[in-house]
Amino acid sequence: MKLLLLFIASIIVNNFILSNFLGICPFIGVSKRLDSAVPMGLAVTFVMTMTAVITWIINHLILIKLNMPYLQYVAFILVIATLVQFVEMFLKKFVPGLYRAFGIYLPLITTNCAILGLALLEALKNYNFMESIVFGVGSGLGYTLSMAIMAGIREQMELSNIPKPFQGPAITLITAGILALAFMGFSGMISL
Amino acid sequence: MSILYSALLMGGTGLLFSIFLVIANKTFHVEIDPRISQIEETLPGVNCGGCGYASCASYAEAIVKKGAKLNQCVVADKDTLDALGTIMGTKVVKGEKRIAVVMCRGDRESAKFPGIYRGIKDCAAAIYSGDVAKRCKYGCIGLGSCVSSCPFDAIKISAHGIPVVSLDKCTGCGNCVEACPRGLIELHPVSQKIHVYCKSHDPGAIYKTVCTNACIGCGLCVKAAEADGKSDALKTADNLVIVNYDNYQLKPEYIEKCPTGAINIEQNIIIK
Repeated sequence: MKLLLLFIASIIVNNFILSNFLGICPFIGVSKRLDSAVPMGLAVTFVMTMTAVITWIINHLILIKLNMPYLQYVAFILVIATLVQFVEMFLKKFVPGLYRAFGIYLPLITTNCAILGLALLEALKNYNFMESIVFGVGSGLGYTLSMAIMAGIREQMELSNIPKPFQGPAITLITAGILALAFMGFSGMISL
Repeated sequence: MSILYSALLMGGTGLLFSIFLVIANKTFHVEIDPRISQIEETLPGVNCGGCGYASCASYAEAIVKKGAKLNQCVVADKDTLDALGTIMGTKVVKGEKRIAVVMCRGDRESAKFPGIYRGIKDCAAAIYSGDVAKRCKYGCIGLGSCVSSCPFDAIKISAHGIPVVSLDKCTGCGNCVEACPRGLIELHPVSQKIHVYCKSHDPGAIYKTVCTNACIGCGLCVKAAEADGKSDALKTADNLVIVNYDNYQLKPEYIEKCPTGAINIEQNIIIK
């Protein structure tokens, strides 16, 4: 039951983009079309899940055992960079279709602060192994959800008459703000 | 002491990870024909889709793996094609350049408008929302769906409200052909300069009520061609003159008799 709560909470209540404001740059940059926003979200979900598992192992089996948790930042960045490289090679060899679908998004994720944020939050909140996996999957799906909502809205906005001063980035940021306000309505639903 | 330990730990982990990556790179290495990436670099890289493949990368792959023809890229100039030929070890002959031709002359002066359309700026949307943007049910709506589809910035709406194609910039990729909901844009070789710039099947009376530049199917140009001995160059069908593009043999003399100017020479094309 606690895992289910954590899952739902990480999708909507503690949504990475709209409540934690992490990973904003792909949220603005790649959300122009639905058919590129959703693959980006799925790639993030994939990398988040892998990161959650591996950083938990590194954190608990090495850093905490050796009493050096202050190395978390450096170690996590190292893990994420290596992981993304490895996943890219693996997909290229065994799942070329998926590799082509992810395209440029996979290497882009390396520098996405949402991934590092996930690893650090997971260490901060002291999740156990199962909770870390659920937190990773849930956060990734929450990311995909907000990317998809944003892309859907922006596709509609392209066809509407927006006043000149608001066109382009301005209306996008306003939309993101209103979306974040809407997601604030979920906060307090589940407290973790 | 703790500085030494953390430096050792991080350095060791980094080294371990890099060794791991080196091994992974070797084990997961995919054999790719080096010509594919060479061709991909040579191609223009605009991903216009004019060759019939989704992107320049997939065209490059098709050249090497499936033996696709080298002259299918519509954007490539002579140097690019020569470079492609050197990579593949053959000679490339480029076909004649084709450009987009907009088959409508119903501009603001000649066509009649029932009112002012203020809806979504998209031709297909204008048709779905009651088709009231223009009185002609075959002609160009002029909202610029073709303009936004052009990856080369070669087509724009002129001051008269009709798309004009730039002869220099147009590569003949055909994106606008698919974008036009009325099917008014066609690709034709540059040397073919005379076309019937109308697609309206309405009877001749539309000349007064709908568009003064419409083809009314009077057949004067057909008669001129027949008198010249080219009886299969043009034919009338359903109030419209149709050009035989399989055997293109139009001459400027044929267009002189046209009462509306629907058959004309190099309309809607900017020549610079």
